[in-house]
Amino acid sequence: MLKYLIVQLDDSAPSFCHYTLKDKDQRLIPLDLLEKALIWAMKENLNVQFIYPESELPTEYKKIIDFVDHADIASVCCEDNSLVRKAEVLLLSSLSIPEKLELRKGCAYVWRTTISDFLINYKVMIEILPHIDRINVVFTDVINFKDSMKAAYSAALDRLAQAIVSEYKHQHQVQLNLLTDRMLLNEMNNCNAGDESITLCPDGKFYVCPAFYSDEENAVGDLNSGPFIMNEELLKLSYAPICRICDAWQCRRCVWMNRELTHEVNTPGHEQCLMAHIERNASARLARRLRNECDIKLGKDFTETECLDPFERLNN
Amino acid sequence: MRKEEVEIKENERGWQEGMAKNITFIVTKDCQLACKYCYLIGKNEKERMTWTTAKQAIDYILDNENLFKEESVVWDFIGGEPFLEIDLIDKICDYIKIEMFRRNHHWFDSYRFSFSTNGINYDNPKVQKFIEKNIDHLSIGITIDGTKRKHDLNRIWKGNNSEERGSYDDVVRNIPLWLSQFPDASTKVTISSADIPYISESVMHLYSLGIKEVNINVVFEDVWREGDDILFEDQLIALADEIIEKEYYKNYACSFFSDSIGRPLDPDVDNQNWCGAGKMLAIDSHGNFYPCTRFAAYSLRNKRPIIIGNIEEGINQNLLRPFITLDRITQSPQKCLNCEVASGCAWCQGENYDAADTDTIYQRSTAICRMHKARVRANNYYWNKLYRKLESEGMKQ
Repeated sequence: MLKYLIVQLDDSAPSFCHYTLKDKDQRLIPLDLLEKALIWAMKENLNVQFIYPESELPTEYKKIIDFVDHADIASVCCEDNSLVRKAEVLLLSSLSIPEKLELRKGCAYVWRTTISDFLINYKVMIEILPHIDRINVVFTDVINFKDSMKAAYSAALDRLAQAIVSEYKHQHQVQLNLLTDRMLLNEMNNCNAGDESITLCPDGKFYVCPAFYSDEENAVGDLNSGPFIMNEELLKLSYAPICRICDAWQCRRCVWMNRELTHEVNTPGHEQCLMAHIERNASARLARRLRNECDIKLGKDFTETECLDPFERLNN
Repeated sequence: MRKEEVEIKENERGWQEGMAKNITFIVTKDCQLACKYCYLIGKNEKERMTWTTAKQAIDYILDNENLFKEESVVWDFIGGEPFLEIDLIDKICDYIKIEMFRRNHHWFDSYRFSFSTNGINYDNPKVQKFIEKNIDHLSIGITIDGTKRKHDLNRIWKGNNSEERGSYDDVVRNIPLWLSQFPDASTKVTISSADIPYISESVMHLYSLGIKEVNINVVFEDVWREGDDILFEDQLIALADEIIEKEYYKNYACSFFSDSIGRPLDPDVDNQNWCGAGKMLAIDSHGNFYPCTRFAAYSLRNKRPIIIGNIEEGINQNLLRPFITLDRITQSPQKCLNCEVASGCAWCQGENYDAADTDTIYQRSTAICRMHKARVRANNYYWNKLYRKLESEGMKQ
């Protein structure tokens, strides 16, 4: 059941997830469409999230946006300082924080990075963690993850876990998606694009998520017809044979990446499973430490697993 | 005293079925025939496999023994018509045998070469020499559709002549030779809408030619017209009567009749995929790999081919994952899950993909639904009648 409407306000709005924005010129969503979209969202009882471009929006757009309760997703490089000060989600293109930016709590930061960049720069995060409440690390090149990187990735996560334990000891329960999400969950908590959320883009059409906007053929309806996703059941967990037996509950289970890697939205590639399980195991180790060292109550207890890809359990 | 229970002949399982890897060489996309029901819509005379491509494919497969752990292997040759490329096939098979021996490969001495042919070139001296050389490791199926009028309805020579020319006479002359070399051979019969009225006479005709096993199926494509299911059921009832009356069930089998079809399926226990796509491997003349030949461009009406790798870069294992994890429940619509006669209802993954609303293999086509139900009704009739007869004769309790 749909719960969220994501509105990409401009063709040039930056990516906040795994996909890379295709070179597109600035093009704002037409004002009348935006208004229509918000009325539709209210009728459908959807929470609205806006993805902003880096240039400041015209005043008439801001007025319409304020018409509904919403969440803002913007880049820290956005020209509109007031937006950067209030956005619920802020995108970092690197861990070099702009000088004018004051890190703040009550906001989720997103660091989009490549795997190699992460393995080189992850320690910078240790300096950031005391100043924020949450950071999501999003990899832009999951396909490049190799079995030979397992040890390095695991070690990096353990080093970050050490920093998180320190924060917990100072009564600061900071969240890093790769490590803390799994230990706080009791069931799968995936992106659920197309199932719980739908995206409206500046061309006036719906897409499963902004990643699918790269090709107009991926459109799944418009504001006149409403969203209509053929074979929409394949976006649900129960229709994903590998994921429904998996307990790496923090995995984004990105359906766009699934399609890129395996040609099917319901089937993850090996790399996605491998990374999610290394994170899951690091999370199990972190949870154990938090219980022992900080006397913290967490969700269901879980231990490390040797099987790093649930596909192996089905491929007998 | 009770008489001994009568043996009812069943269709044989394939050689090492379930334990053998099927590797298919699409050696040519050419064929002498232009069968009307053929799913290969992109046949042509240009795409012929070269020796270099074939050798590279074999080397890749044998070099990567860890990716091919099945106990046995069936090296399959398909077209078009494979025997058009007998020189290449002979060279391929010699190379495979030598390399499996040289490498001490676990498939050495656990292999078959398998062919589906239209039978026209069967008596060609080169083909016969090949058969003689490989007879102990060979399976050959000749496709003959039944009586002359049924066979010639669909299986016609290609060409631009306004007058259609059937191929029955060119095939049937080779059946005695074939059966002398492979006495237990079976034939494959395909049923489309136009030839339903000839099913019964055709199966009987094939039996009369000495073919003891007839594997028969309706096409998976959505070609069925209103009333076809009723006609189909009538034909199968007539066939059932004939088989029982003349006691063909003792020595002859027809895959339409099976004791295990037409029951509801348990969602937990009976959740396997029907089709083996993805567990097989097909290679075309460009050196591309496919999960089955049905995913090659020449087989697809509406969709792009699904290429899972090539002889240069190998197999992309990620692209195999959807095929390996595919199960019955996930791809079936609710009406199939609730179906009271679901067992034995088949599907072709390639046709599912080609007919699907999106680019997915996870949407089962139900074009044969009414035909399956008609088959189940006739099948029930067959077994009820046969068992009653045997009971009354004291041949079965």
